[in-house]
Amino acid sequence: MVGGMNHVIEAIGLSQVFRQRQGLFASARQVMAVDDLSFRVAEGSALGIVGESGCGKSTLARMLLGLLPASAGTLRIGGADLRGMDRRARARLIQPVFQDPMSSLNPRRRIGATIALPLRVQGTGRAECRRAVARMLEEVGLAPEIAARFPNQLSGGQRQRVAIARALIVNPRILICDEPTSALDVSVQAQILNLLMDLRARFKLTLVFISHNLAVVEHIADEVAVMYLGRFVEHSANAEIFAAPRHPYTRALLASVLTPEPGLGLPEMPLGEGSPDPTNIPPGCRFHPRCPLATELCRNQAPPRGAVECHFAASGAGA
Amino acid sequence: MNAVLEIEDLRIGFGPLEAVRGIDLVVERGQTHCLVGESGCGKSVSALSVLRLLPKRARFSAARLAFEGNDIAGLGERGMARLRGDRMAMIFQEPMTSLNPAYTIGSQMIEVLRRHRGASRAAAVDRCIAMLERVGVTAPAMRLGQFPHQLSGGLRQRVMIATALLCEPALLIADEPTTALDVTVQAQFLRLLADIQRQMGLAVLLITHDLGVVARVADRVSVMYAGRIVEHGATGAVFAAPRHPYTRGLLASIPVPGKIPPGGRLGSIPGIVPRIGAGFAGCAFRARCAVAMPACAAPVPEHRLADGHRFACHLGPDGAWSGA
Ligand SMILES: Nc1ncnc2c1ncn2[C@@H]1O[C@H](COP(=O)(O)OP(=O)(O)OP(=O)(O)O)[C@@H](O)[C@H]1O
Ligand SMILES: Nc1ncnc2c1ncn2[C@@H]1O[C@H](COP(=O)(O)OP(=O)(O)OP(=O)(O)O)[C@@H](O)[C@H]1O
Ligand SMILES: [Mg+2]
Ligand SMILES: [Mg+2]
Repeated sequence: MVGGMNHVIEAIGLSQVFRQRQGLFASARQVMAVDDLSFRVAEGSALGIVGESGCGKSTLARMLLGLLPASAGTLRIGGADLRGMDRRARARLIQPVFQDPMSSLNPRRRIGATIALPLRVQGTGRAECRRAVARMLEEVGLAPEIAARFPNQLSGGQRQRVAIARALIVNPRILICDEPTSALDVSVQAQILNLLMDLRARFKLTLVFISHNLAVVEHIADEVAVMYLGRFVEHSANAEIFAAPRHPYTRALLASVLTPEPGLGLPEMPLGEGSPDPTNIPPGCRFHPRCPLATELCRNQAPPRGAVECHFAASGAGA
Repeated sequence: MNAVLEIEDLRIGFGPLEAVRGIDLVVERGQTHCLVGESGCGKSVSALSVLRLLPKRARFSAARLAFEGNDIAGLGERGMARLRGDRMAMIFQEPMTSLNPAYTIGSQMIEVLRRHRGASRAAAVDRCIAMLERVGVTAPAMRLGQFPHQLSGGLRQRVMIATALLCEPALLIADEPTTALDVTVQAQFLRLLADIQRQMGLAVLLITHDLGVVARVADRVSVMYAGRIVEHGATGAVFAAPRHPYTRGLLASIPVPGKIPPGGRLGSIPGIVPRIGAGFAGCAFRARCAVAMPACAAPVPEHRLADGHRFACHLGPDGAWSGA
């Protein structure tokens, strides 16, 4: 990363531990959902986060949004500690767009009122809110009369545009998108991605973009973090990760992507079948039980911290 | 005759809505036929109608609905109940919708065998364990005693497919089976399905939004738009030379690394799918089509190319106005 750049997100030693009760009488187990993460996001850039289901992506998103206080560590947003920040100041800085627009929009509130809500919370008057809503609807490519409708009268893509309009109305500096297009079909997904790219350029937005779809992440992100059991096991520039993945898990992820090329068939994948258990993180390298390259070293010793957390990253073994 | 499922002129309606407006579709033994198209175009209701699982209020008709060569359009509910879960199986997007959270995996799987095969309990248990093993579930005997919520998403998906395959069906209908999975689990699941298909000669009708999945597993693909199949053909032919403007739009809207530069604009189809009622005429895509002409309001001609490739558009195979 270039020195002197302004980092709007700075995480230092960020952790999130949940207690999860397995049964009525069993003692609670600890789920290490986010494990001692440190990273920075430069202003105006887009960080893509990918990783297996349950690896902690949404938990991290909720922490960044201030919806979930960190169990440990510090989070600085726009240069200020998130912990001491009041709700309104936080909302002006950072806003969410979630996967399922239907469940994140209040079904009984008209679209106009939904979009205006973050502004109302800031204490803005009605007339000013109405003007801002009209402007935002236009920004996201929706007709003005949509303001009078209810969520169930819109299509999935229209609802996601509403969620984006609501997030952007307070002119935040950061947008946290957690699977924003996963519930949409490909043609609508394309509309939403184009819209996000446009808005990002226009408003100098910083994006954190979580998705299972690696092609989408490759399309939209400047940097990519690959998450596995609560840690970023690889975090590099987009071009580097996709052209020369160095962590075996990143390679397995990329090998699993089904590009729309008929005749190639299904990829063979060297990953073991077992799915990781966040209540029981393996000793040594957390990926070793599924890693085709694992050695004695990997079973006993955690890999050094860094952009690629693998004992063999530097030597490029197995690449 | 290798056709396992034959559908001709299938129509489905709900009140004023014409949800499916005359589709033809054939799935052959050992083949995967993918059905793609925008949300709401009628994929799921078409699949449900084959299994006769449409809600009672739905209107339904078909010129022909044949399974393994026998007409099933006139089959009563008892006959259909015998087929479902036996010769015809279905899996859904979210495994929790087809697995009952209140019962163990074992009791749900055993029930299927006892109902359709009248198997003894001991024989049923053996068969369930063998099937779980075959789909790659570790510690199968232990799984029989577990409840659905105690399994990870990937394991639940495997249990669901094992249950669907217990009676060695001839046809499997899978509606968005991998949408909730991450890419590594998705690839594992599809490989498993392909292996089983090869071993059992299973015919698969696969509904999906994911054109990557279609490209890699489908033998034939049907592209649906607003209740009609607007293009059909061998997967390679349709991807290499899509003929219908909607198919072209779909293929242009997926980010393909290497083709569209990162951050570049994706193709997109402006507008939304119209809701179509009785008396609608002409091409349903015309309001969103970049090459639409006034004449697209007239009934749409269908063009036939080599190897069963067909498409419905006023522009002919040479891209010229076909003057219906
Ligand atoms: N409130 C909670 N209490 C206990 N455990 C939780 C809670 N929220 C999340 N977890 C656990 O933390 C881990 C991380 O969950 P998270 O939702 O962040 O995963 P994710 O990476 O977003 O997965 P997906 O891709 O499936 O959305 C999981 O094991 C989950 O079960
Ligand atoms: N029970 C019902 N009552 C009324 N309308 C229905 C019912 N089920 C489906 N429809 C309508 O029929 C049309 C086709 O629905 P269907 O579920 O088949 O779409 P789909 O192609 O599977 O979409 P998706 O990709 O979103 O799953 C839609 O317009 C839908 O709203
Ligand atoms: Mg999540
Ligand atoms: Mg459907």
